[in-house]
Amino acid sequence: MNDMRLMERELDSATARMTARKVQVYYGQNHALKDVDVDILDKTVTAFIGPSGCGKSTFLRCLNRMNDTIAGCRVEGKIVLEGEDIYDRRVDPVQLRAKVGMVFQKPNPFPKSIYDNVAYGPRIHGLTRSKSELDEMVEKSLRRAALWNEVKDRLQSPGTGLSGGQQQRLCIARAVATEPEVLLMDEPCSALDPIATAQVEELIDELRANFSVVIVTHSMQQAARVSQKTAFFHLGNLVEYGDTGQIFTNPRDPRTESYISGRIG
Amino acid sequence: MGEHHIASAFDRDLETIQALVMKMGGMVETAILDASQALESGNEVLAEQVRRNDAAIDALELKINEQSARLIALRAPTATDLRIVLAVIKIASSLERAGDYAKNMAKRTQALGQLGPSDVISSAGASLRRMANTVTELLSDALDAYSGRDLDLAQDVRSRDREVDQMYNALFREFLTHMMEDPRNITPCMHLHFIAKNVERMGDHATAIAEQVVYLVTGELPDDPRPKAENVAGFDKPAAG
Repeated sequence: MNDMRLMERELDSATARMTARKVQVYYGQNHALKDVDVDILDKTVTAFIGPSGCGKSTFLRCLNRMNDTIAGCRVEGKIVLEGEDIYDRRVDPVQLRAKVGMVFQKPNPFPKSIYDNVAYGPRIHGLTRSKSELDEMVEKSLRRAALWNEVKDRLQSPGTGLSGGQQQRLCIARAVATEPEVLLMDEPCSALDPIATAQVEELIDELRANFSVVIVTHSMQQAARVSQKTAFFHLGNLVEYGDTGQIFTNPRDPRTESYISGRIG
Repeated sequence: MGEHHIASAFDRDLETIQALVMKMGGMVETAILDASQALESGNEVLAEQVRRNDAAIDALELKINEQSARLIALRAPTATDLRIVLAVIKIASSLERAGDYAKNMAKRTQALGQLGPSDVISSAGASLRRMANTVTELLSDALDAYSGRDLDLAQDVRSRDREVDQMYNALFREFLTHMMEDPRNITPCMHLHFIAKNVERMGDHATAIAEQVVYLVTGELPDDPRPKAENVAGFDKPAAG
């Protein structure tokens, strides 16, 4: 196995790709997220950790306006991508989601062929001009998702016929096909076996060369393995945000310490 | 910290390892005190006992390392838990070295016994006994600082090691004088000097343990230079240790 990761772990970027300031989220009367300030750095994997109901998934979903679809959900504050507030009225959420892609907990390929799953995004956003360009895009995306070699001879078979790990990588290929700037992943490995998990984690590390990745995970070890920055959420607050190495060896906040070391907090 | 792990077996494993460290610390303190007493009184039976007991100290270090490796593999400790395990491995290593020095002291006590009684040996024996007592106090305080997570006591140990360095410097000059007075003193003084140097090194290990306590409590090793007084007479720079 490639165990050189530690060498590569250093941050090679300090530019913020997305900045969130004073973000509040309400579900009806429930104040679910309070005053969250985070910079999502360029070419960096940022992990959000915290107990269930702490607001980490809620915040992740704010980053590409997935909360718009939830009735009674209200988002306040500012989230800026490329100098533009993504909650501005002029921003089209569909266009936004092409720039901020998302991979979900359970693999959810469309009931279409492998090829069409990946081609879907580029088609609806009109990103390619010809069939050959689209073919290229599909191959590139599948290669990026480390799936090409396994599916290149059966691109027309249904995506749902793949194994769980392959389906999840297909969803990643689908998400990267629109050349997003930020990739959001909500528990992308929770339904996968250890081998598929390792493949997806390796993939996340490779994707970092081109995208900012934000991952929500319940596995502390996964957060430690794949991310360079970690944010710990607790009861709707962002408790601590820092270098992953620091969070796991010397957290500043006792609540972070209790959570990551498996104590009753 | 006051809180318990959700997995209580994790707490038990950590406590077991830490109890082993305290046990090892007690054995090393006894070894140092016994070795210095054997030296002062010329008790070769006690010296032999110190030499034999060292194997138990070594075995305990091995056990601590094995259990620490197991805990890292099975429980993936983080934050304070991780620092405890890392500190424990280093503290056990320091204790093992200190135990070896006590064993060497016992060995040289036996060699000195072969040379027959002399004033030089008995006067130096008393000084070395005092020095060993001071070092044992340092070691004991370093271990207390460890078990109580006491940052102030750990810093205190770091600064008090200077006293041991000064005792060593004084003995060094004394041995030099004896050897210049009478070449027949050279053999016992060489042995006594090695003993003094070893006791001085034990003090350094007590300091190293105190530094691990600082790391354990704060997450950072102390970066200020440790107070030192090991400037051997006749040299501008500290002698190579």
